[in-house]
Amino acid sequence: MTTTAEYTKPLPTLTDDNRPFWDACRDKRLSMQQCDGCGHIRFPINHICPRCLSEKFHWQTLSGRGTVFSYIVFHQVYNKAFAQDVPYNVALVQLEEGPRLYSNVVGVPNDAVKVGDSLEVVFDAVTPEITLPRFRLAG
Amino acid sequence: MHPMRDKIAVAGVGASPQGKFPGATPITLATTAFKRALDDCGLKKEQIDGILTMPGTTSPEGALNYLRFGEAVGINPRYTGSKNMGGGTAGALLHEAAMAVHCGFANYVACVFGDTAATGGNKFNRASGWGDSWGIWGFMAAAANSAITASRHMALYGTTSRQLGEIAVACRRHASMNPEAVMRTPITIEDHQASRFIVEPLHLLDCCLISDGAVCVIVTSAERAKDLRQPLVTIAGMGQAYTTENMEREDWWYVPHQKMAVADAYAMAGVGPRDIDVAQLYDNFTSSVLVWFEHAGFCKVGEAGSFVEGGRIQLGGELPINTAGGNLSESYMEGWLHLVEGVRQMRGQCGERQVQGAEVCLVTGRGQALNCANATILKKG
Repeated sequence: MTTTAEYTKPLPTLTDDNRPFWDACRDKRLSMQQCDGCGHIRFPINHICPRCLSEKFHWQTLSGRGTVFSYIVFHQVYNKAFAQDVPYNVALVQLEEGPRLYSNVVGVPNDAVKVGDSLEVVFDAVTPEITLPRFRLAG
Repeated sequence: MHPMRDKIAVAGVGASPQGKFPGATPITLATTAFKRALDDCGLKKEQIDGILTMPGTTSPEGALNYLRFGEAVGINPRYTGSKNMGGGTAGALLHEAAMAVHCGFANYVACVFGDTAATGGNKFNRASGWGDSWGIWGFMAAAANSAITASRHMALYGTTSRQLGEIAVACRRHASMNPEAVMRTPITIEDHQASRFIVEPLHLLDCCLISDGAVCVIVTSAERAKDLRQPLVTIAGMGQAYTTENMEREDWWYVPHQKMAVADAYAMAGVGPRDIDVAQLYDNFTSSVLVWFEHAGFCKVGEAGSFVEGGRIQLGGELPINTAGGNLSESYMEGWLHLVEGVRQMRGQCGERQVQGAEVCLVTGRGQALNCANATILKKG
């Protein structure tokens, strides 16, 4: 996917809570909040730890390695910005440090990806401000 | 014994016509359903002292829907409110009505839902997460969450798309026996397989309809219901459970709260899966029904795929489900018609689709991004 001035797909709304995540992505790092109270690494981004309710945390750079937890392919166009992309995949990614997130597996045909496959993060600068973490199959 | 077991009745049920009705509004359809439910049980509207509503996806007043409905039918209730848990709302409001009656907050509670989703233009195109989160990667619409469940169930247990098709075929066959159903032409597994993908592995025929319509059920005590027009149908058991965490729960995809909701309903009713004669299982997508079989104990974890084969879940089989056609083929009333059909089966009023001798019915509901679940055991008499 290329960087153009006409990027029309949904973009994150930057807030004080999520800006460190997106700044790290632009710096080609996958970074999530780790609780200073209980050590839990959490995602989605949250101002408080859902395990121990501590408000103290730091941003922890993760390995970017994970596996395909579940995997689906969109054929229906729900948002016209994706009309040129269908069929496109979305993977539920299990990161090796524990958290899960949705992303896309790039670089291979949709039918080349199976649940359980190993993944590693890649970074896709879709606008000057926003770089999306996506994944490729890891050897 | 649970103090509410068999003490509360679903005395009246009513539904508006189902389909697509340009010009209708959720309120116009809801008042039709309400009047039909009154006629069904012989109550006068002056006797209704409780109103619980679910706003439709197209109801402009949202959480104030109860005020709009009450104004439309000229009732100033002792107890009221609106709740929206998507497909988990019908059961949740039924249970709330039962609690209100049991605790004396109201004597006759009308639970009402009306929507014009077919006409009203809900395109279900928002990201399936809070705020703008997952749409960034193209993850959106209700089908996506259920496709995540289907994909992982297939990968772990070898479940196939053809097995999901068995559920769609059963619902359609049952709808073909229901004059009120929107989709009545029988389908085959081959039709299911040939239908286009929506969110793979889910085909078009794995997905529910989008419908205009309304439903009303009237709840009162079993004692009061005995004086009304219809054969007595009581609530033997109720259960609810919720998983609010999505990404934080590794087993979220498997909707673990559904098992808890059914277990609570079984415990309250003093029954188990072998006692269930007929089931109305929430079917926004076929994969949702698949996991209900496992959570309700009809088969073991991972075995629902083979369980649904061979006509077992069709009328004449061991466990007929969604005997009016369900969300998949009757009409997408977000599970409200599942309650209506459950009540009618327990009354013995279902004509050619009646499960002969049925005395215990399980009705389930689920809603939002797999988060909300409930179960109700209805009993004849």
